[in-house]
Amino acid sequence: MSVTVSMTVNGKAVTGEVEPRTLLVQFLRDHLGLTGTHVGCDTSQCGACVVHIDGESVKSCTALAVQAEGTEVNTIEGLAKDGVLHPMQEAFRENHGLQCGFCTPGMVMSAIELVRGRPDISEKEIREGLEGNICRCTGYHNIVKSIKAGAAAMKG
Amino acid sequence: MGSYLRPRTIEEAVAQLAAGPRILLAGGTDYYPARVGRPLDDDILDITAIPDLTGITDVGDHWRIGALTRWSDLGRADLPPAFDGLKAAARQVGGAQVQNAGTICGNVCNASPAADGMPNLLVLDASVELSAAGSVRTLPVGEFVTGNRATERRADELVTALLIPKVPDGARGSFLKLGTRQYLVISIAMVAVLLVPAADGSVAEARVAVGACSPVAQRLPALEAALRGCVLDAGLADIPDPSHMAPLNPIDDVRATAAYRLDAALTLLRRALREQGGGAA
Ligand SMILES: Cc1cc2nc3c(=O)[nH]c(=O)nc-3n(C[C@H](O)[C@H](O)[C@H](O)COP(=O)(O)OP(=O)(O)OC[C@H]3O[C@@H](n4cnc5c(N)ncnc54)[C@H](O)[C@@H]3O)c2cc1C
Ligand code: FES
Ligand code: FES
Repeated sequence: MSVTVSMTVNGKAVTGEVEPRTLLVQFLRDHLGLTGTHVGCDTSQCGACVVHIDGESVKSCTALAVQAEGTEVNTIEGLAKDGVLHPMQEAFRENHGLQCGFCTPGMVMSAIELVRGRPDISEKEIREGLEGNICRCTGYHNIVKSIKAGAAAMKG
Repeated sequence: MGSYLRPRTIEEAVAQLAAGPRILLAGGTDYYPARVGRPLDDDILDITAIPDLTGITDVGDHWRIGALTRWSDLGRADLPPAFDGLKAAARQVGGAQVQNAGTICGNVCNASPAADGMPNLLVLDASVELSAAGSVRTLPVGEFVTGNRATERRADELVTALLIPKVPDGARGSFLKLGTRQYLVISIAMVAVLLVPAADGSVAEARVAVGACSPVAQRLPALEAALRGCVLDAGLADIPDPSHMAPLNPIDDVRATAAYRLDAALTLLRRALREQGGGAA
């Protein structure tokens, strides 16, 4: 049995036929071809799969596609506008906030929710706010630096 | 291959449960990780589209926390200082994304010995509201959870809310937990303390609970009795002693030995009491 699911992804209305227990991340990657959202674990811990549902950061490996019915979903692919990187993406690039890049889409999506309305967010707040995102490469130092710069660039 | 249902009302949900048992799905933050490497082929009843299960409401003599209240809703809610411990727990559970999905009711129903919600709900004297087709009953959380992963919920029942009786003015709650790191680990020990001050500066009522040191989190009645009537200052930290820990029955496991857990719980209790008494934790 499959069901129809409709939502807005990165500003575009999308509809798909899915088995009802299809995870949101499977829908994004396998049905829509949006492979920027990664899967790094199967225990809801790593945060590589973070997307925004109605502006809140959520792990898309821990939600069904049908649970996002009627919502606005934003993924890493939706951030750059007309070829210009989002300020948080630009901050990661400028500050060397990534090495292999596997965790980066989730880090950037988490960071954007974390700094919203907090242009002067402290290092401690950033580190606490990143508890749901794991990076095996960078040691986090440059990620924190990037997010601080991104927060200032987003001006809240 | 199982089936998937997503009702819009409580009536619809309990009617579907009456027709046969199903796995209830709320935030899914315990559900998905428990199915690592297995296909999702359970018969699911997804309760996340039921608007009547959302919201925290003041209903006169008690607060009603709807079953879909997420940790992030709780962390932001305007509630009296008696809820400070529960709110502290809400802000420490599993990172922002888990807080945006996970519900406090799911935390209770999952019945983990290390559920951060439990000690806080025990000191708030919370009850669980269980709804079935044509009936509603309530049970204190301490009776609802009967053991590791075991509850009193019948297969035809849905937990529809947590009910928390109003607490006297001035009551304040706090919560401390210990794990090998701050987040994304299962706690070794956790404590919740709620103190009600008397007009003369003493403790009118003390409620204390410890989690992760027994199959179900426990209140410590002997310690509560010992605290009652004491001056409410940092000296409260000197009251807890090992004899008060009798209701606990911790396990030895990879995270800690039983002796270490008991010692950690005692230390956390002293810290929480010192801090509530106005001293530095
Ligand atoms: C990365 C990560 C970190 C975590 N960190 C913590 C932590 O620090 N502390 C902690 O305590 N927990 C932690 N958890 C566990 C989990 O997030 C919490 O227990 C959460 O509150 C569960 O709620 P849920 O809505 O996601 O439950 P679900 O996974 O949807 O359900 C959990 C169980 O409860 C049942 N259930 C849910 N709602 C109802 C209802 N209304 N009526 C009857 N049964 C119901 C379900 O059938 C299921 O058996 C963590 C989880 C993850 C993935
Ligand atoms: S894939 Fe690891 S948290 Fe979602
Ligand atoms: S850059 Fe490699 S995992 Fe973070």
